[in-house]
Amino acid sequence: MKQIEGVMTQTNAPKGIDPDSLFFVQVDATKCQACGTCEEHCATGAIQSINEDGIHQVVDPAACMNCGQCLVNCPYDAIYEGVSYVDEIFEKLKDPNTIVVSMPAPAVRYGLGECFGKPTGTYVGGQMHAALRQLGFNYIWDNEFTADVTIMEEGTELIQRVKEQGQKDARPLPQFTSCCPGWVKFAETFYPDLLPNMSSCKSPIGMLGPLAKTYGAEETHTPAQKIYTVSIMPCIAKKYEGMRPEMADSGFRDIDATIDTRELAYMIKTAGIDFNSLPSQGPDPILGDSTGAATIFGNSGGVMEAALRLAYEVLSGEKLNNPDIKVVRTHEGINTADVKVPNFGTVKVAVASGLKNAAKLCEEVRAGKSPYHFIEIMTCPGGCVNGGGQPVDPEIRASLFRSTVAQINKRFRARRVGA
Amino acid sequence: MKLNRRGFIKACGFMAGYTVLGLNLTREAVAATMDFVGLRQKSVYDADAKIYKIRKSQDNPMIKKLYNHEDGFLHEGPCGHMSHHLLHTHYVDRSARVKALKEKGYKFNI
Repeated sequence: MKQIEGVMTQTNAPKGIDPDSLFFVQVDATKCQACGTCEEHCATGAIQSINEDGIHQVVDPAACMNCGQCLVNCPYDAIYEGVSYVDEIFEKLKDPNTIVVSMPAPAVRYGLGECFGKPTGTYVGGQMHAALRQLGFNYIWDNEFTADVTIMEEGTELIQRVKEQGQKDARPLPQFTSCCPGWVKFAETFYPDLLPNMSSCKSPIGMLGPLAKTYGAEETHTPAQKIYTVSIMPCIAKKYEGMRPEMADSGFRDIDATIDTRELAYMIKTAGIDFNSLPSQGPDPILGDSTGAATIFGNSGGVMEAALRLAYEVLSGEKLNNPDIKVVRTHEGINTADVKVPNFGTVKVAVASGLKNAAKLCEEVRAGKSPYHFIEIMTCPGGCVNGGGQPVDPEIRASLFRSTVAQINKRFRARRVGA
Repeated sequence: MKLNRRGFIKACGFMAGYTVLGLNLTREAVAATMDFVGLRQKSVYDADAKIYKIRKSQDNPMIKKLYNHEDGFLHEGPCGHMSHHLLHTHYVDRSARVKALKEKGYKFNI
């Protein structure tokens, strides 16, 4: 066990193990104070009281979507991470025969700075690239590039589905986004009958892994078997995704290791890098450059907005002059919108933030009453920027007194909103 | 109008009261829209609008290179054969294990 940015973490680097058998988060029963906060944040109810004292546990990995919202909201630091690759990555960075490739997600660059004293949400994309270079990564490739690829693939799939309606063997609408690994496991576990509605596209990291070992290997003249791909995510569930047996389309494991924002901060600190004095640097070419459409993947409503920036232009044949589509931006809950597209008509979309809200939209689809073309779902409220692998809100663990006050304030605010 | 000592103190009192009230209202308004998650979300939209020079995926030069009809790695375009091989996937029905747990008496939310 290691303390990583305030979170206890097992550094075990499992290989060739069925991820369904692993607890990616679990409660340390000796630290649990039976407050039940974790249960409030768990959509499936996988984390629950196991005895008369109210001590909580994740009862079975099958019911846990690995989102880690319990972990980031626990006021007692009682929940630990069960899987970590940081030690193995340090080994690979030292090995001259291994070409280590970085693949950081959009939301990481809006949380990482907090571990180095910067104000909440500070954008540190340039310093992040510089830090990865100093750590010794051979290619600073960026998962934002494949967020753009995801839009091309998933947007095209959506347009195909819309056009094939009424034909024999048409794929059903609405199309669900498939970027969020908590949501994908949730659909597979609780709504398997809706899997035909799920976009067949892998997530951006699911795409960057195999592209790095095929296209990237080709372009940089690197033997693919030497490449070690490191996925850097604001997320714990991405560790599960990286270990899925089917993620081996490049002929190798597509994703060799997955770490989260906290673990990247830990690596930067362990290597003695002075993060705040780093210059702003860009990623490496080929699989690095990205757009604003890619960076907004980190927010609830972002994938939707990015996809609409493409769909609008393809369906209408006209240029979208103002790329801001603010109606789909979602802070919490369910958000729906009708987007008028010239020469086509109305695109009906919905965005759900949090799996409890996702379940409501799923029930509608199951009942055949869903009017939408496209539904975006994010497991973590607000999106990946609030992911289970992000730095923990200091208010939550400030002190017992302050966390109690914070909780009372939170309830007070919630009541005010409802009233 | 002449202001006596009592009136002056009274006015000061009102002013101080309104200042505190005003500050609190402002702080509450800011807090309501700018919680922890809100701050991170705002930073994302600011970067999209101000830092990123290109704002649509289809305009990214590296995307154009990847999908180039003549010599691109994915020259068939999005959802072509190579895309389906590398970038698309299938899903697995995982309902059985949770069903079995429920039969054993475990309760979940769904």
